[in-house]
Amino acid sequence: MSDTTLFKVTIDNISIDVPAGTTILNAARMIGGDVAPPAMCYYSKLEGSGGKCRTCLVEVSKGSEKDPRPMPKLVASCRTTVMDGMEVKNITSPKVVDARAGIVEFLLLNHPLDCPICDQAGECHLQDLSYEHGKEGTRYEFQRRTFKKHDLGKYIQLHMTRCILCYRCVFAADQLTGKREHGILDRGDHSEIATMIEKNLQSDFIGNVIDVCPVGALTDKTFRFKNRVWFLKPMNAHRDCPTCSGKVTLWNRGEEVFRVTARKDQWGEVEEWICNECRFEKKQSSDWTIEGPRLIDRHSVISQGHYAGTVGTNMPTETIEAVLHGRKPKLLMDIHEVSEVNRPHIELSKINGPAHSNNFNPDND
Amino acid sequence: MGRKLLLEKAHVEGIRSFEVYRREGGYRSVEKALKTMSPEEIVEEVKKSGLRGRGGAGFPAGMKWSFIAKPEGVPRHLVCNADESEPGTFKDRYLMEFIPHLLIEGLIVSSFALGSNATYIYIRGEYAWIPDILEQAIAEAKANGFLGKNILGTGFDCEIYVQRGAGAYICGEETALIESLEGKRGNPRIKPPFPAIKGVWGRPTVVNNVETLASVVPIINEGGEEYAKIGVGKSTGTKLISACGNINKPGVFEIDMTISVEEFIYSDEYCGGIANGKRLKACIPGGSSVPILPANLLLKTAKGETRYMNYESLSDGGFATGSMMGSGGFIVLDEDQCVVRNTYSLARFYRHESCGQCSPCREGTGWMEKLLYRLEKGEGKSSDIDLLWDIQRKIEGNTICPLGDAAAWPVAAAIRHFRDEFEWHVSHAAEAQTRNFGLAHYADPIHVPA
Repeated sequence: MSDTTLFKVTIDNISIDVPAGTTILNAARMIGGDVAPPAMCYYSKLEGSGGKCRTCLVEVSKGSEKDPRPMPKLVASCRTTVMDGMEVKNITSPKVVDARAGIVEFLLLNHPLDCPICDQAGECHLQDLSYEHGKEGTRYEFQRRTFKKHDLGKYIQLHMTRCILCYRCVFAADQLTGKREHGILDRGDHSEIATMIEKNLQSDFIGNVIDVCPVGALTDKTFRFKNRVWFLKPMNAHRDCPTCSGKVTLWNRGEEVFRVTARKDQWGEVEEWICNECRFEKKQSSDWTIEGPRLIDRHSVISQGHYAGTVGTNMPTETIEAVLHGRKPKLLMDIHEVSEVNRPHIELSKINGPAHSNNFNPDND
Repeated sequence: MGRKLLLEKAHVEGIRSFEVYRREGGYRSVEKALKTMSPEEIVEEVKKSGLRGRGGAGFPAGMKWSFIAKPEGVPRHLVCNADESEPGTFKDRYLMEFIPHLLIEGLIVSSFALGSNATYIYIRGEYAWIPDILEQAIAEAKANGFLGKNILGTGFDCEIYVQRGAGAYICGEETALIESLEGKRGNPRIKPPFPAIKGVWGRPTVVNNVETLASVVPIINEGGEEYAKIGVGKSTGTKLISACGNINKPGVFEIDMTISVEEFIYSDEYCGGIANGKRLKACIPGGSSVPILPANLLLKTAKGETRYMNYESLSDGGFATGSMMGSGGFIVLDEDQCVVRNTYSLARFYRHESCGQCSPCREGTGWMEKLLYRLEKGEGKSSDIDLLWDIQRKIEGNTICPLGDAAAWPVAAAIRHFRDEFEWHVSHAAEAQTRNFGLAHYADPIHVPA
């Protein structure tokens, strides 16, 4: 099959031509929007990842032009390649929506839901997933599982209770570092990420497991409990690094650099891997050349209220008059005249540091 | 009575040794196949025989063999799946223990048909003594020129290696078996690609059950068409059934799939009836993962026809009123058995054996086990039963490998057919701790919303 062969695939009634060998998930990502199934374990940059979390299950209602039979089961879209004329149902299939709600429930079953104290909160894929596809309550009435603590070394904090066993960090360590020192021990619901020897993660690139972790199971020890991610401003920056590309995102508050991560694209995937030195050791603004603000494309809360234009791009275009068939809205009360804090011209992201009531004091205008 | 093809000679004195096995007509099929037939002819013969995989799924073996990719210059492999870990199934153990040369003979012929020069027997770790038996048989076969280089002067080389598992049920799943054979963690692979395209070390591989490969011997000896005359419909040949539970004569029986379930349970030739004069309550006809059937649906199908011991008849009525032939682990429950307890025990097994790779199986099996434990202990709520139904529904079909289905089916069938017993465990919690529910009226399956 040559690379130029294009297959036509229809996902949720939207057709697109994709090169042969593309997976359904990647075809859906090319379409974008709600059509793209969520993926907790698939990571396009890691070979062999995917197929495990089952959140990306889709229904194939027509196999291909040649063989139009539907597939008997829901398939993992991240590992199923498209066929010419394939028709896929994602959010338009009640079966998929039902199965996905089930998967979210399973993933949250033993998850501690300690988001208030979790450093990943705000940029956690499991959080996004459960908001979008999950239910409010749980039907699980038993004790959640716990693990013996393992110390992975001075840089990486492991919270095994939060882990959803996506195997991404295992693939990352396999493919980025010379030799993998951590892995999955045990089997079934008591399997865990751990090292055989404590404090043994030493490779130069092992810090990337923090970026690939979709939940708060692997977090940055140098950033632990320092700040909430949504109070920080992501900035693109680079430095001349001998080991990696040196292209990173700095998470600043004022002049202070709170943490350094790799640059992530709109699917939360790292664009270029960075080394431990860039990630953990360079916490001074003077270490970096700042390029400008970084857009966080994902529907994460980080992007809320940070930069003019990132949130407001999808504003409805209809006016109130159009919606009310010509009637004008009756103003009962202008909140901005009454409220002391709600002042529309103050852009929260432009405030240096956390917002304080002083910022809203009209006397300071 | 039914013919025996596999176990006919199993009790001849000294059959484990090469001399006796050869004297009794062993290794004739190797001579016939290697000297007079081409690999394609053997595959064709197996296709004609209608032999279905004996491991549980019942997929036609000849068909599976014809799928194997044959790229130029890439070695192919045959793997014998002897990781027989299904609760209630012990037929392969019997075959390997009593008549190991039959398996070796079948492996040589099958290796020739598939072009495998290195064939593996992956045997479960708990069968600690059987690898020695097999290895001795392999050494004897090799000493007599049936294995090794240039077998019988035909130019075909074949080595058989025995690999022990480390005690994981999941390694009976063919891709997990391959991973484990390669020395990795026994996690099932995500399919496609199937092993016939990319199996052991990325090479085309066929994985077959012990009994399937042993059945190749009579197929070659007698011809595929002769073999297909035994049995009925698409259930050709003979099948080993390992019967256990509350019966008078537990053991391994070779049946020709034309006898009825009733005859199998009550005839003295087979199970010899229910032990201690009790009455039959339920039966798991094909190993722990197939749906349990109450007595009335076991002996007669929903249409009122007699149920026979074969693939089609046992699955008559689908999962609503039928079950599956599975791997042939026939577990009989008498009136003193508690279905809730039995289901809990199975759920515990699947929770323990789940590999933990995909989320529905990893989390769902544990949840079902906890709920069933609670119900069994009399601490359950009636909503737990509906919850169990919902959980099994969300596991089934959404997992990487069939272990998720295998964990969901027993729970689904137990609730489908024995819902009143579950409800009784909730409504009469204290009483349920002192006595069993008994036979009750398992005449009609109770309607459960799908």
